Amino acid sequence: MAADTGLAVSAGRGGFDARRWGAWIVSVGIWFIPLLWIDVITYMTLTIAGLTMGALLFLTASGLTLIFGLMDVLNLAHGAFFVWGAYAGFSLLNYLNTLGWVEMASLGQSMGSLVLTLLTALVVGGLLGILLEKIIIQRTYGNHLKQILITMGAALVMTEIIKVFWGPNDEVILVPAAFKDSWDLVDIVVNKFRGVAIVVGVAVFAAIQLVLQRTRLGITVRAGVENREIVQVMGYNIERIFTGVFAAGAALAAMGGVMFAIFKEQIYPGMGDETLIFALIVVIIGGMGSVAGSFLGALMVGLAFNYVAFLVPKLALGVNIMIMAVILLIRPSGLMGRK
Amino acid sequence: MTDLTPVQRERWHEERTRYSRPGFLIQMAALAALVVIPLIFPSFRVMDVVAKIMIFTIVVASYDLILGYTGLLSLGHSMFFGIGAYSLALVIYHAPQPCWYHFLVAAGVALSLSVALALIIAFFSLRVKAIFFAMMTLALAEFTDILAVQWYDLTRAEDGVSFKLPGIFNLGWSGPTLGGIEINGRLMTYYFILVVSVILFVMMVRFIRSPVGRVLKAIRDNEPRATALGYKTFRYQVFSIVFGSSIASLGGILFATWLRYVSPGSTLSTPIMLNILLMVIIGGLGTLYGSIIGAAFIKMTETWLPDLQQAAETVFPNMVILHRLAERWILYFGVLFILVVFFFPRGFVGTAREMIRRRKAIARKRS
Amino acid sequence: MSEPTLSLKDVHTYIGQHHILQGVSLDVNAGRATVLVGRNGAGKSTTLRTIMGLYPVRSGSITLDGEAIQNRKPFHIARLGIGFVPEDHAVLTTLTVEENLRLAMFKESEDGWRRMESIFRLFPDLKRFLHSKAGVLSGGQKQMLAISLALVLDHRIVLIDEPSKGLAPVVVEHLGKSLNQIKDTTTVVLVEQNFYLASQVGQDYFILDDGRVAHHGLMEDLVNDHALKRKYLGIG
Repeated sequence: MAADTGLAVSAGRGGFDARRWGAWIVSVGIWFIPLLWIDVITYMTLTIAGLTMGALLFLTASGLTLIFGLMDVLNLAHGAFFVWGAYAGFSLLNYLNTLGWVEMASLGQSMGSLVLTLLTALVVGGLLGILLEKIIIQRTYGNHLKQILITMGAALVMTEIIKVFWGPNDEVILVPAAFKDSWDLVDIVVNKFRGVAIVVGVAVFAAIQLVLQRTRLGITVRAGVENREIVQVMGYNIERIFTGVFAAGAALAAMGGVMFAIFKEQIYPGMGDETLIFALIVVIIGGMGSVAGSFLGALMVGLAFNYVAFLVPKLALGVNIMIMAVILLIRPSGLMGRK
Repeated sequence: MTDLTPVQRERWHEERTRYSRPGFLIQMAALAALVVIPLIFPSFRVMDVVAKIMIFTIVVASYDLILGYTGLLSLGHSMFFGIGAYSLALVIYHAPQPCWYHFLVAAGVALSLSVALALIIAFFSLRVKAIFFAMMTLALAEFTDILAVQWYDLTRAEDGVSFKLPGIFNLGWSGPTLGGIEINGRLMTYYFILVVSVILFVMMVRFIRSPVGRVLKAIRDNEPRATALGYKTFRYQVFSIVFGSSIASLGGILFATWLRYVSPGSTLSTPIMLNILLMVIIGGLGTLYGSIIGAAFIKMTETWLPDLQQAAETVFPNMVILHRLAERWILYFGVLFILVVFFFPRGFVGTAREMIRRRKAIARKRS
Repeated sequence: MSEPTLSLKDVHTYIGQHHILQGVSLDVNAGRATVLVGRNGAGKSTTLRTIMGLYPVRSGSITLDGEAIQNRKPFHIARLGIGFVPEDHAVLTTLTVEENLRLAMFKESEDGWRRMESIFRLFPDLKRFLHSKAGVLSGGQKQMLAISLALVLDHRIVLIDEPSKGLAPVVVEHLGKSLNQIKDTTTVVLVEQNFYLASQVGQDYFILDDGRVAHHGLMEDLVNDHALKRKYLGIG
């Protein structure tokens, strides 16, 4: 079954798939249930916070799911790219601030420094991704146990190196001035950076889908997800594609990291581990290997987390595990996963 | 003799030589050493290391039951360990007075919780793919960790829970002095841990030598064939997960008993899981005895590394980066971990057994 | 007879611990259709996969027009001009037929599209289902697509692994005709269990047994040699 066009295929196959519909109803319905307890304005605010979190989670989860689908690698070092991106951006923002481009910045300067920060994170993440893939991951293809252990070790080492350079404590990350205030939409207060995050998340999703569906590179990657061997014997250097996808995933995670840091206005070395857990849940919910699935999954996790954090703060993390369990019960391969 | 089947002959041989094999003698010597160590070295530091080695041997061996004997990678073993530790700590902490039956209550709570959780995890994740098992256990373990950090009223969060033990385990208790050695609460706790660890370890050794254990090995080595032979592999895997996790939670109780203090960082956090993984891999997967080597190596390193760190700080007082590097001992564990997985995947016991087997094969060829 | 295009000399291949190819030597001549036959597990598919670099060569040599290709990466071997049709009608089921073919073309080119036209003449069904997912094709159609994927490029040799496996007899019949047309323009190495199809298409044969070449010669001789067929193939 198709990874990214699950619905179309199911329609083409004909017949009524009760389980699939059940999963869809659950995943859509969850968004509205909180209205029973929350007034509309708070609901909207929470929804926007949830969408922001979802968009940022998607940046991390998309790489994880592609790496898993294409390379069959469960990359537990993915959270480390996230932290590295955040710290790289943190240092750059500190530097830019000495030039007056951050806290005292005009709109243009704010935009400029944000774009620069995101680019830095992308580059740092991409380079680290290439390094890790070439040095470590490439030696472990086909051996799941080894991969998980190695990537876990790599995550630990990378996080510890962060602590060596930047120290182990929480730090406050600077936010470009133009993104500090908020818009006021009919009593609903929207922090400007949240708007930016949602736009970036949706844009990245659209871009990934466009590349995967429309370009030769995308066809190659999708083909590789399904059957590596055929792609290889057609003359494609699958290893280079692997490295590329791994680096792209790492770059996206790093960008997600710096955006998450700006969103939270703080960074700490442990943020990668926590995000990795969220991203894993997202990937399981969405179906391993499916980008669209992880987009949906990320939004669900972000929304559910924010609603529940408002209603029953202690359950906030548990609710995501519960969603994961429910979806696994109905559809063991995730919302859009392949059987 | 001649009408015995090969298996019977093997068993007969095993029975006859059970108490004269070098393995048995080594086991007895090790046991004697464990009994005598606190009497010879009355320093707290030595006793502390040895007790922790015993506790982690149990935890690592129980992990080996899951990873080494069924090939399922659980990343939630620290969660079961922590459940055990917190059961004892919280029962005693929230009770007005520490009592003996608290141990039984804690064991009951820990066992029922871990059996239930292990069953849930197994049923959810084994249905799909083995890799889900790793992801699910990781997610749940992290969730438990965060829960313990956030639920301040119950767990005192990162401050951790300090508590007192009843009767002769209490640090305030002191008994008679025998031959110059003072019998105190700490020493009694040590022997308690020694007895329970040995019992649990023997249980695990028995378990893998039982018919169930043999089937587990068969499943690990060739699952389709085991299924084709008519074994319900799912049931066996679930059994090993439940068994291993339960023992880990008992190990957690021992840990809490020894430290009299439990915090998320020392029981539930990812570094603990990584420690367990490192120990099992250094010792050798699927060897059970490797857990002793692995636990001993890591715990001893952990104890002596701070000394090295201090030495580094006194020799190079002005290099901040160096100090930070020295502080980050987890960094070295991480590097060591990667190196071991790459270059030493069979671990200590696995490699040693391989060498012995080769030598025997060569000797057989010669004769 | 010309110089052999593809030549294996004393090739040994291991899969895990198992010694599968135990010294395979064979020559494939340009412009001929060569068939590898033999019992299950004799090492036929392994031979093809070893040529493609999908299994490492432990010892021995493989040369393509005199150039050593053993232990190169599969993609490299493919680019040197060997096309490979894997077992079990291997197509990319999540992609459309067109995407499959475009992927196989590697780079968009005039020549590629011209070859595509001739492929559609050979397998008209593919043109009909051009925009459907390859997953909805029938087994026979998938096999045709799988073969086409190796024909889109002008390969020096095309290796085809058990094309008739799992197909209905009438489809196999059709496939045989197509393969006969293909061999007129391309050097083909075919692994085939179905001896009827093998004898229809093949011109040279190699019998593999226990990881070695037990016998080889011209197909027309094998068809009449009942003793040989009984000994190695269990038929005749």
